[in-house]
Amino acid sequence: MSVLKGKELRIVGFLCNWCSYGGADTAGTARATQPTDLRIIRVPCSGRVNPLFVLKALMNGADGVLVSGCHPRDCHYSAGNFYARRRLELLKEFLPVIGIDPRRFEYTWVSASEGPRWKSVVTNFTARVHELGPAPKWEDVPARYDMPEDLVNPIRPLGCGAHPSLPELKEAIKAALADGLEGVLGWKQGFDAIHAEPVFMTTPEEVDSLIWGPFNVQNLAVQLPLYKGRKIGVVVKGCDSKGVVELMAEELISRDDVKIFGMGCNGTVNVSRILAKLPEGARIDGCTCKGSKITVLSGGESYEMTMNEVAQDKCRICTKPNAVLSDVFCGTPTTEPEEPEDGRSPALRFLDSLSLEERMGFWKGQMERCIACHACRGACPMCVCRDHCVSDSRNPEWVTQEDTVQQKLFFQLIHAQHLAGRCTGCYECERACPMDIPVFALKQQFGRTIKKIFSYGAGLDPKGTPPLLTYKVDEPTIKEHDLA
Amino acid sequence: MSENNCGCSKNPYLPEVATVLDVITESPTIKSFRVRFDNEEAWQNFSHEPGQVGQLSVFGVGESTFVINTPPSSKAENGYIQFSVMRAGEVTTAIHKLRPGDKVGVRAPLGNFFPYEQWKGKSVFFVGGGIGMAPIRTIMLHLMEHAGDYGQLSLLYGSKSPEDMAYKADLPGWLDSKVLKTTLTIDREAPNWPHRVGLIPNVLKELNPSPDDCIAVLCGPPIMIKFTLAAFRELGFKDENIVTTLERRMKCGIGICGRCNLGSKYVCLDGPVFTQAQLNDLPPEM
Amino acid sequence: MSSLLFATPKELTGWLAKLAAGHRVLAPRQEGPAVVFRPQTAEQLAAADAEALLKRSTSSPKQAMLPQSETLVQFTSVKDAEDPSKLTTTLTVPEAAEPTVLFGCRPCDARGFVVLDRPYLEGPLKDPYYGARREATVIVTQACPKAFSTCFCNWVGSNPADSEGSDILFTVVDGGYALEAVTEKGAALLEGAGFAPADDKRQAVEEAHTAAAQGLAPSPDLAGAPAKIARRFTDEAFWTKETVKCLSCGACTYLCPTCQCFTITDEGSQLNGRRLRSWDSCMTPLFTLETSGHNSRAAKSARMRNRVSHKFSFYPERYSGYFSCVGCGRCVVSCPVSLDIRHMVTAAIEGIEAEAKPAATEAAPQPEAEAGKDKNAKGKPKKR
Repeated sequence: MSVLKGKELRIVGFLCNWCSYGGADTAGTARATQPTDLRIIRVPCSGRVNPLFVLKALMNGADGVLVSGCHPRDCHYSAGNFYARRRLELLKEFLPVIGIDPRRFEYTWVSASEGPRWKSVVTNFTARVHELGPAPKWEDVPARYDMPEDLVNPIRPLGCGAHPSLPELKEAIKAALADGLEGVLGWKQGFDAIHAEPVFMTTPEEVDSLIWGPFNVQNLAVQLPLYKGRKIGVVVKGCDSKGVVELMAEELISRDDVKIFGMGCNGTVNVSRILAKLPEGARIDGCTCKGSKITVLSGGESYEMTMNEVAQDKCRICTKPNAVLSDVFCGTPTTEPEEPEDGRSPALRFLDSLSLEERMGFWKGQMERCIACHACRGACPMCVCRDHCVSDSRNPEWVTQEDTVQQKLFFQLIHAQHLAGRCTGCYECERACPMDIPVFALKQQFGRTIKKIFSYGAGLDPKGTPPLLTYKVDEPTIKEHDLA
Repeated sequence: MSENNCGCSKNPYLPEVATVLDVITESPTIKSFRVRFDNEEAWQNFSHEPGQVGQLSVFGVGESTFVINTPPSSKAENGYIQFSVMRAGEVTTAIHKLRPGDKVGVRAPLGNFFPYEQWKGKSVFFVGGGIGMAPIRTIMLHLMEHAGDYGQLSLLYGSKSPEDMAYKADLPGWLDSKVLKTTLTIDREAPNWPHRVGLIPNVLKELNPSPDDCIAVLCGPPIMIKFTLAAFRELGFKDENIVTTLERRMKCGIGICGRCNLGSKYVCLDGPVFTQAQLNDLPPEM
Repeated sequence: MSSLLFATPKELTGWLAKLAAGHRVLAPRQEGPAVVFRPQTAEQLAAADAEALLKRSTSSPKQAMLPQSETLVQFTSVKDAEDPSKLTTTLTVPEAAEPTVLFGCRPCDARGFVVLDRPYLEGPLKDPYYGARREATVIVTQACPKAFSTCFCNWVGSNPADSEGSDILFTVVDGGYALEAVTEKGAALLEGAGFAPADDKRQAVEEAHTAAAQGLAPSPDLAGAPAKIARRFTDEAFWTKETVKCLSCGACTYLCPTCQCFTITDEGSQLNGRRLRSWDSCMTPLFTLETSGHNSRAAKSARMRNRVSHKFSFYPERYSGYFSCVGCGRCVVSCPVSLDIRHMVTAAIEGIEAEAKPAATEAAPQPEAEAGKDKNAKGKPKKR
């Protein structure tokens, strides 16, 4: 594409119509000499710059992306650049996880009168990108398939024994059904003893099939928006309750419509880890759980394992084992541990240990096997667009039907980006992935940045506001990126 | 001719590149496009039967399914085949932007056709609603060309308003035709409208066609089909003498891609023409 | 019956490495916790541990004949020098399929291709892309050493050593593998492999096959299932109840070796673009959504009904009684909410009398069931 074959790099600039575009004009009218690498796209406001614009440019070979808007407090639309500042700061912190150098992206403020400032912004940014050189291409990066399977030590004791308050919970649900609740979402045993499946309980017999324990893996919050406007109940683990709360915070379900039943959770299993302890393809004939020990019966043999060996990664670092919001809570709450020092998923921890180019190779190797089924989206309680996902749209066409790594990863970037500040960390995307791709790491990268900048955790307050849906005039935790 | 490396005689996914010869604005939302294949040999080998459909595509935008709405004779007589397209989505919007001289892709003919040989000696009563007139036009024009083989041919064509009525250029000829009894109707009163006013099923009942030795052929939006079907039944038409042509979302057009099935039948392959008796045997999934 | 050949693990990988010189060799490869079919080079194969090539794949090998996405037609246009609004458009079809060895299928996977052959190759218009790959591919199948807990190939008239759809079938025996050509194509591939004749292994092979078959849970009686499921069609309460937990994610369809659905979309522009064919899923609401907003399968219950009915009723009705499910169990293993098609099928036929409609299905034989029961049917070259 580049006319000057390598002398020029491809830098995309998104410039606010009201200020920076004018600033560039002012610089031009003043005959200021500036580098010509920048391709300018005029936008009505820096708030119009969807972070996906930037990601799409960078994923498709841009060597750098610059966003420039009006100075804070000068927005033509009052607050567009305040929102932009939050989004773009988060985006900048996100980029390294997919192996993109964050210095390739910058956002800054230039007003229409600041011709000289524009000149120095564009000169400095172009120089910076030139120093970095052309962006590595996805085609050229060697794919890698390794990922150490280290287990994180649980920050609290995990258990799997029968919950003493299950009978009490069942009685409470039966009473609520008798009281006019249409049904209650819970779990019952699935096709074998180590699989649970969701059940919508409407009769006392169905309530009797309710189970509680290490196999209740599904986050039932995902079902709630489908019942919008109907009076139903839901049984939750601590992590699930965060999904319920976040849905309420975003007014996607009404607090009045949902009755929440909770009990203290002692952790759930990663079924693949159990299966890995058994001979390949073993038939599950039964399973007993006692204390923290799971005994699986198969082909006349019994296989013993502990929760520490087979628990899901999220349970190992969980600080909210009890429903954060509930109408009926049965039994004693599980002791809530302190925030762990290192709450990273194994994949994120591994990614952090890699160089930027190795991270690209990591995602290339992982996404290659993605079958684009979008089970990650289907299982996500916060993916509430359902049939109207932007990734399915032809106009705008964010992703094509091509099965390239870039296209498949871009879908994941859309998912992660749309969950920024909303993801409650339930891990369902990763659990649902039939190809075992560690997609949660992308959401966690946003999650930890949000925690760092905004001290916010999604799903804790039904009246809370996700940080990207609000702003502060002065952002003490966001430092100005001055390019001038 | 386009290269075909598949080692097979015919690649059903490979469109013929065709040129738009003429564009006729039929109504505010409907345009007709007259096209001819660029490849002369392919054009000479092309033939179709009334009721068959084609995939018309704008390269870079996509394909969509439309009935070929000129009778088979049109290819030889006029040197084109025609598709009528209602503007609705991405592809149809792109098609509506086409001008004479533009290139399109055509995969045709696909699907089955009206069993007009079996109708010989019988009367045929056509009912078209809105864009549903497109397939009716093909079979009707074909039967008018062979009117001697059939009994009375009749048409009831309805649309929302006079502006929405397509094929305006054809209408005077149809109204004056010696072989066709034409009734036009619109849903609501409009100034200077000399024809009937009323919904198709009601007008049909007023016209009161005899079910004896008569085939009913209808096409239109689902709601119109539902009530018109009921009206025909009320008039004593048997389900095996009521013929309709279905429209479903299609991609491949050759019975593989899995969208258009009604039970074990594919509308693109086993249809789009079905008698009501055949539909009765298929799962009710409209 | 052709003769048995014996290969040690080293000989097997050596043979595959040699084949890689003239073929694309697809074989299972562990990637993270998943196993996927990947093209492997001669060096990779020569250095491979044979055991690693024998794992059961997480996704099906369907991609060998039907890639997730492929170009059907490439279009380029040139503007007229006099009138730039006039374009000359040229279409090109991608290169023909390359010779391929698909190594390490399981019998259910291989039978999946037989299921796909019917719509793709036996209709009035054949699918040339699938056909060319099918023609260019030799399928080397491993008889399952044991049944997985989610396996139910015996339900659909097959068994863990079924050779239908395979060109070569091999069985793990003491110290190596006993290979047998099923088709002439398979025999040709084995020619010159230098494997020793091993007719003395016949009994060991038979025993391994029997042992694997015994590991399967007994099948329910599915005679008449197509007609029964057809009669269940209008029972909306049933389908709603069965699908209440379904997330409509579509993982089941993308993992399925026999799901045939796809979409066709254009990418690029008329000046330089491609028409792609990509996997699509009948479980998503967009699949049948029409521009008008009308959707014949708007509810997830209607979509699941179509999927289950397609496999156990519509397809058998269309193709002389054959089920289009091969019982691999991938949809069961990977469903995020543990939906189980085995349960749906048995629940759907329970309490329904198979009578009257549809007549065609009633009269149709169940050739698969017979082939599965008849041990002698194995090893006979099957026509596609």
